[in-house]
Amino acid sequence: MSTILKLDNITKLYPGVTALDDVSLSFEQGEVHAIMGENGAGKSTLIKTIGGAIQPNSGTITIGENSFDHLTPSLSSENGIGVIYQEFNLVPSLSVSENVCLGNKLGHKFYKDRKQMNTETKKVLEELGLDIDPDMMVSLLSTGQQQMVEIAKSMIKNCKVLIMDEPTASLSSAETENLLKMVNTLKQKGVTILYISHRLEEVFEISDRISIMRDGHYIKTVNTKDTSRRELIKLMVGRDIGDEYPKRQTRPEEEVVLEVKDLCGQGDENISFQLHKGEVLGVAGLVGAGRTEMAKMIYGYLKKDKGEIYVRGEKKDIRIPAEAIASGIGLIPEDRKREGAFLEYGIDWNIPIMMIKKASNGLFVNRKKTAKIVDKYIKELSIATPSAQQLVRNLSGGNQQKVVVAKTLATEADILIMDEPTRGIDVGAKQEIYNLINDLVAQGKSVLMISSEMEELMGMADRIMVFYEGEVTGFVDRQHFEQNHIMALASGIREAA
Amino acid sequence: MKKINFDEVFKKYMAWIILLVVLFLFSFTKNFLSFANIVNILSQNSYAIICSLGVAFLMMAGEIDLSVGYIMSLCSVIAGILNVQMGIPAVLSILITIAVGMLLSMLNNFLSELLKLNRFMITVATMSIFQGLSYVISKSVSIRGFSDGFKAIGQSNIGMVPLPVFIMFFLLIICSVLMSKTYFGQYVYALGGNSEAANLAGINVKKMRYIISALAGALIAISAIILTARLGSAHSNTGPGTEFTAITGILLGGISVRGGEGKMTSVFAGVLIISILTNGMQLAGLDTYYQFIAKGIIMLLAIGIDVYNLNRRQIVRKTAK
Repeated sequence: MSTILKLDNITKLYPGVTALDDVSLSFEQGEVHAIMGENGAGKSTLIKTIGGAIQPNSGTITIGENSFDHLTPSLSSENGIGVIYQEFNLVPSLSVSENVCLGNKLGHKFYKDRKQMNTETKKVLEELGLDIDPDMMVSLLSTGQQQMVEIAKSMIKNCKVLIMDEPTASLSSAETENLLKMVNTLKQKGVTILYISHRLEEVFEISDRISIMRDGHYIKTVNTKDTSRRELIKLMVGRDIGDEYPKRQTRPEEEVVLEVKDLCGQGDENISFQLHKGEVLGVAGLVGAGRTEMAKMIYGYLKKDKGEIYVRGEKKDIRIPAEAIASGIGLIPEDRKREGAFLEYGIDWNIPIMMIKKASNGLFVNRKKTAKIVDKYIKELSIATPSAQQLVRNLSGGNQQKVVVAKTLATEADILIMDEPTRGIDVGAKQEIYNLINDLVAQGKSVLMISSEMEELMGMADRIMVFYEGEVTGFVDRQHFEQNHIMALASGIREAA
Repeated sequence: MKKINFDEVFKKYMAWIILLVVLFLFSFTKNFLSFANIVNILSQNSYAIICSLGVAFLMMAGEIDLSVGYIMSLCSVIAGILNVQMGIPAVLSILITIAVGMLLSMLNNFLSELLKLNRFMITVATMSIFQGLSYVISKSVSIRGFSDGFKAIGQSNIGMVPLPVFIMFFLLIICSVLMSKTYFGQYVYALGGNSEAANLAGINVKKMRYIISALAGALIAISAIILTARLGSAHSNTGPGTEFTAITGILLGGISVRGGEGKMTSVFAGVLIISILTNGMQLAGLDTYYQFIAKGIIMLLAIGIDVYNLNRRQIVRKTAK
């Protein structure tokens, strides 16, 4: 194998921050090379340097035979580098072929040759084994298909190195499978893949080598087959964090705190379950199986067609979130930035907002009371921040999530519905969230935990409820946790027993 | 020791700093800093400041209303019909007019909710409807002959200070306290900051929007009443244009077009900046049409500052990563 891309002593400084510190890395032709690290480790800066989106302060980039002290997006692309960022660079209102050929000097100088564009696009799509109509408007495609169009867009320019930044972050399981297959197809064609991902499972499945970064430094490159999850986490976090899923000392009690009977609506049908005091009930299923809808119906945010909700044996008619909160139910929404946090405001503004009416005398907010609550939760959840006034936007993903959780806990909710509580946060912060869940359960609170990461559910839940297309296909107890079995239920295969 | 962040201080008190600069510049003009002229500026612009307080509630909650000027126009004409043509006593006429203002503002909100379209677009349409209605009702003549009680709202003095100035300061204090000290104020910021998250946080966003609309409508109506009383006559062209002063003043006051920021006291400073510039331009003998151009430039500057603040925040965010 030959080295196709080489970085030497790359340093990138931002005012007050060293994003990349003397990083040297090389990539072989035809390998799948994963780059891992926590948020802020410098992965994004690294790929933007290669893609030409940012210029390093020092160091050289060698592509094949040519060395550069910096790249521009067009220079990078001319030298066979393609980058697929998390946010796609597609024009939604144009067709697939128009997107694939965008910025590619095809056909006539002044008008576009639709025929040629279509044949060229078809050729690339066929080579990649994709069944997408070149005339289809991109906005009508699914996220997974759009990603494939992005790949085709790179391939039509004969790209030799394809960089993918968190490509599976917004894909469903099936789409993820497709993407991983595509990575292998590209590898067979001799394309080098730089694969940036938080998800250990995927990385183990497809990569040949893994490079780890931490705090802007290059740490180490390991062969995938010679390493373990634990070693990787240790390299990423910089210390041994022990068990990925901390053990819980407490067991669920008999008392049922939340009972849902025949919940229907928003595509869900006849959802029934019981949540016990001190229990973590996991909710597994594919993206779009109706889990978030169930959570939001219980919380009164989405309208339910029918179904009864009992809180501690008492029937509750919950039509708006305020009524759920009054019954002691809290929801940690799936999309932290859009639904959870008020990013432009301080921590001290965010934490009390849900209970601020309770902390008021008449109309007037009791600032002493709210300040106490803010202090309490910053300490209890060890939210890492220079001050309570810090804007939530400036916190790391893990700390943002803690603020969202604190906001809900401040309402004294004891039934917590957590929708993908660890999505998009790094390994160290994930473990803190797991510890937090264990603490909450130990205090006698109950958690309904929706997650698309099977390992996480099996590590954290006492029981797992499995969803398939709006229906519950089964419950699995901790002693019977087995990935294949749960996956089968999530794919709609109900066992006879 | 807490380090003083000049960027933050500037942003927080931008309106006051600009106001001081403007005052300083005009202090060289003859008669400008006299007590009489300052009282005059405050008195002339009380109505605009009160209207701006209402619009500021909407903008802090993340909404922009273009129909404000024609709500004022309708309120003015209706007050005229009630007090002059129907002979209804001043107090009752005023109360009914305020109710009309509230209803019109809530109607905007209702339509925005019904059509799932933002208030900005809705009010492009209702602006025209309100304008037409106002001319139809008034038959496009000015209504004169308000009762003394009604005129007193705009024309009487307490000591040497006109009543509208007192009403303005009274409402400014109430609005300021409402935004900074009460949970209602926090809810308004919540809507402006992230209405989706506000909804999930258990805030009844739908209800809040109606309350905010009603509040804004009341302030807009009061503004129209004071203006009408000061002029002593009601006409359909009483009011339009105020929305322009209000939005510019509010932006200068550091409230973002995206909502969720700012203080009521800065709105006061922001509107005063425009008033003083206008007053100064008049004293300097600048032609009215040139004043339009100058106001437009100020509006652009205010928007520019708003966008600059947003960009800077994003740069800070990127470097913090």
